[in-house]
Amino acid sequence: MRRDPKYLIFKDLFGGLLITLKTFFRKPVTVQYPKERVTIFPSFRGRHALVRDPETGEAKCVACLKCVQVCPSRCIEVKFEVNPETGARKMLEYKLEALRCIYCGYCEEVCPVGAIVLTEWFEYSSRDRAGLIFDKEKLLKNWDEFIAKYPDKLYTNKFWNLKGIPEILKPAPKREGIWVKVKE
Amino acid sequence: MLEKKSISKEFTYSFEDPFFSPFEIQMGPQHPSTHGVLKLNLVLEGEKIVDLEPVVGFLHRGVEKLAENLNYAQVLPLTDRLDYISAMNNNTGYALCVERLLGIEPPPRGKYLRTMVCELARIASHLLWLATHALDIGAMTVFLYCFREREIILNFFEKICGARLTVSYPRIGGVRLDVEEEVLEEIYNFIPYMYAKIEEYEGLLSENRIWLDRTIGIGVISGEEALAYGLTGPSLRGSGIAYDIRKHFPYDAYPEVEFEVPVGKNGDTYDRYWVRLQEMRQSLKIVKQCIEKLPEGPVCAELSPDLDMPLFKRAFKAEAIGPVTLIAFLNEGMELVPKGELYSAVEGAKGELGFYLVSDGTGRPYRLHIRAPSFIHISALKRLACGHFIADLIAIIGTLDIVMGECDR
Repeated sequence: MRRDPKYLIFKDLFGGLLITLKTFFRKPVTVQYPKERVTIFPSFRGRHALVRDPETGEAKCVACLKCVQVCPSRCIEVKFEVNPETGARKMLEYKLEALRCIYCGYCEEVCPVGAIVLTEWFEYSSRDRAGLIFDKEKLLKNWDEFIAKYPDKLYTNKFWNLKGIPEILKPAPKREGIWVKVKE
Repeated sequence: MLEKKSISKEFTYSFEDPFFSPFEIQMGPQHPSTHGVLKLNLVLEGEKIVDLEPVVGFLHRGVEKLAENLNYAQVLPLTDRLDYISAMNNNTGYALCVERLLGIEPPPRGKYLRTMVCELARIASHLLWLATHALDIGAMTVFLYCFREREIILNFFEKICGARLTVSYPRIGGVRLDVEEEVLEEIYNFIPYMYAKIEEYEGLLSENRIWLDRTIGIGVISGEEALAYGLTGPSLRGSGIAYDIRKHFPYDAYPEVEFEVPVGKNGDTYDRYWVRLQEMRQSLKIVKQCIEKLPEGPVCAELSPDLDMPLFKRAFKAEAIGPVTLIAFLNEGMELVPKGELYSAVEGAKGELGFYLVSDGTGRPYRLHIRAPSFIHISALKRLACGHFIADLIAIIGTLDIVMGECDR
């Protein structure tokens, strides 16, 4: 191989250098992060939020506890009260530890009313642990912060519509898809 | 007492030899080229390795034990964290195992989508392998180029399911979401681009004299020996044995797509590099066929268990709650989950990724064992590295394509 004329004229090295030279004149792909932002695609599983119902101004949660049951890392705690006359549940407290969350998206997939959502917000680091343990008010605030920057009028999530999944596997309100009006 | 040991055919040493002065050194677990938290206790003679002992377990998270306390659907996100650079393969492997236990067959569209994302994940994994392997040996440019293309594949995953690494996209009985037509089109347009990029990597490396010097004849293992050590995947195929689960025990849409299994000759580092590059081409071929043949219809089986499947058999009948959930599990006279045990394997990016599942009839696994290829490949490290220089050990660790998340579980 070393007697090969290609080896003697350094064809292998110059061929490689030619490739790097071609790349030298291409547009760089690097994103200078704090100045430029990468595009976050719809339904990215980012910071958690409780959806604020535009009609009542309260959380949409009906305290069915499906998210508590399905969470693989068991990071959700819900406290609720039952109205003795109607039997309706009211969610009192919703505690979510973002530090334990593994962002699988199971909670937003099983939620029958589309109350909990993983928003496309990805910059939420905290200097202390308490800043990443979300309670009900913080989760609703997360939603307000998210929709303030959301460009469209209607918000929906892929896990609220579940395209291609048989009807029988979806909870009843999700069969037509859930859309939330975020702006007038 | 101290006998003369023969580590490799060419190289022997003796502790009684007055000129032999072994030097013990610990490499890792914080070494940049050990690909994670792998620690190696080396015995050196000059710069030659005479003995080697891998120490694993620094990244142990107890996935198998955790799985015993979660229901079948909840275990799936844990499998993302095994081989975290090709998470789709792990998810598919686990989902397939549970499907075989429950007797569910995913619909054709779900099968094709799963095959497509698995092959994309395999390309992403091989790209990361090539990047780090080349960086270890000294080719910085390839590292940057590979990460450029890997970013595109991760963007596809983000568009498909909302996550880039820990995807949790397949589910028991299919996949969790359908893929939009625009994304499929983008993936289809990516295929010719990627072919051109693989040409670029080959142009940089395949004939490069430094690359050839560092890889040819390093870490040679014969086919029989590789089988005896339990090597699978590209590490075995580099030694000339065409064992591929996608061909031998086909699952999902693999029987319906055409592809070849590239096989090396010499079983050295260069051949394993060549096999992986060819595999990337074959994966692109599979992705193309999957998009072309993609059937219409649902992506998930109707009998698939819910994500919040119950742990125990419930007393009430199916009629009581309507046909909303868990038809397979709530009908009277039917078991929640069949009892028994099974082993099911898929071809992961690193090798044969197997799941051994024992079911006791409840909604959670009684025992889940994961046959992680990385763990088994590390056991062959001593055989491959002894007799080589310490600089070649870097190439040998790289060529086995070890991911410690999978090895330590």
